[in-house]
Amino acid sequence: MDKRTLTLTMDNLAFERNDRPLFSQLHCHLDAGEMLQVRGANGSGKSTLLRILAGLLEPQQGIISWNGKSILKQRDLYQQQLQYIGHQSGIKNYLTVHENIKLHSALSANSLNANQIDTILQKINLSHLRHTQALHLSAGQLRRLSLTRLLFNSAPLWILDEPATALDSDGQQFLTTLLQQHLTNGGMAVLATHQQLTVTENMKNIFLGGQHA
Amino acid sequence: MLSAMVTVIRHEIRMTLRQAFSWLTPVLFFVIVVCMFPLALGPDQSLLNKAGPGIIWIAALLAILLSIGNLFRVDAEEGFLDTLLLSPYPLTLLVFCKIISHWLTHCLPLILISPVLGFLLHFTPQEEYALILSLLLGTPVLSLLGAIGAALMIGLRNHGLLLPVLIMPLYIPVLIFGVGTIMAASQHQPINGYLAIMGALMLLSLAFSPLLTGVALRIGVNQ
Repeated sequence: MDKRTLTLTMDNLAFERNDRPLFSQLHCHLDAGEMLQVRGANGSGKSTLLRILAGLLEPQQGIISWNGKSILKQRDLYQQQLQYIGHQSGIKNYLTVHENIKLHSALSANSLNANQIDTILQKINLSHLRHTQALHLSAGQLRRLSLTRLLFNSAPLWILDEPATALDSDGQQFLTTLLQQHLTNGGMAVLATHQQLTVTENMKNIFLGGQHA
Repeated sequence: MLSAMVTVIRHEIRMTLRQAFSWLTPVLFFVIVVCMFPLALGPDQSLLNKAGPGIIWIAALLAILLSIGNLFRVDAEEGFLDTLLLSPYPLTLLVFCKIISHWLTHCLPLILISPVLGFLLHFTPQEEYALILSLLLGTPVLSLLGAIGAALMIGLRNHGLLLPVLIMPLYIPVLIFGVGTIMAASQHQPINGYLAIMGALMLLSLAFSPLLTGVALRIGVNQ
């Protein structure tokens, strides 16, 4: 598929939780190579919006279209083309670093062998913890481990919830480089962040919670 | 696809074995519940032998209910459930892998220890044989049906005893035919008919449960 023709459109999205509106009348359009930053205070609905974009939650109102077609009508196809890394990273505590990558790569249909996993571990600087259970990792190391999914998955749309949390400056640099490469190759990214990440000029912003604060 | 399924099952089992309490607790629970009955009913051999099939089956049923409720809880907390839902593989198959892993780590140990408990309740060799066969065919049904309940629970916090209340009625046919198998064996009647019905129950739940569990999971995360 030609990545250059990809589009993601949000049209009039609204979502409320417990009768409290989180956001409404949200419009946005993303083309290939563009990045969207969702910003806002804690509890303003950033994570919720990302889960909606990943097709895990349904909005009360509005339509999200992927290449011009509603994602609800092509859920399986759409979800195969996105890589979602949520606030909870999906890392299993009782598996080692190596086993976690093995399991996640198998589940994303890009099963890696031991050598490929070692290469990835070197890239994220976790080689020495290969056989350590994720339970014993620090928050930053866990975050790095969860970001490995971006290395073996060729999904054109990345949806990342607070990807820079707990990362040291090396880690943030690594993430920025990854995002730049992804966007240059015609990918798309949606990020929820507290602080401004400077990755690209093709950046759009949504501020949540402004009207309800 | 097969290799991914094997990977999931292998890692699931590995995780369970690393947390000994998670698979050992149901086994100990099973043993302790059965051991309570001689204390409660007195040492009357014929009474214990008569009530034995029911005692073991009820205890197994409770032990499985104890573990099945957590089938998706940790996955939901760790965000791993999202990975399963977003995987390009059919959710039904991934759910099926999780249920197989649950059965291997939480039900198989119960079956392995059940002859010892049968011995405590003065089972004859024929009864022991019927007990093992009925558990082999019946416990997968308990895992499969329990998974639907466990999936329905993930949207709720503090569901407490809701899962047993919801799922127990569905366990009734398995209980009836499971106990019936052993009863028939103790009266020296053929048990093939009972086993056939239990096999049918297993195939039926095998066909529907992973699918329904998948649907329940999608609904569960959507709130």
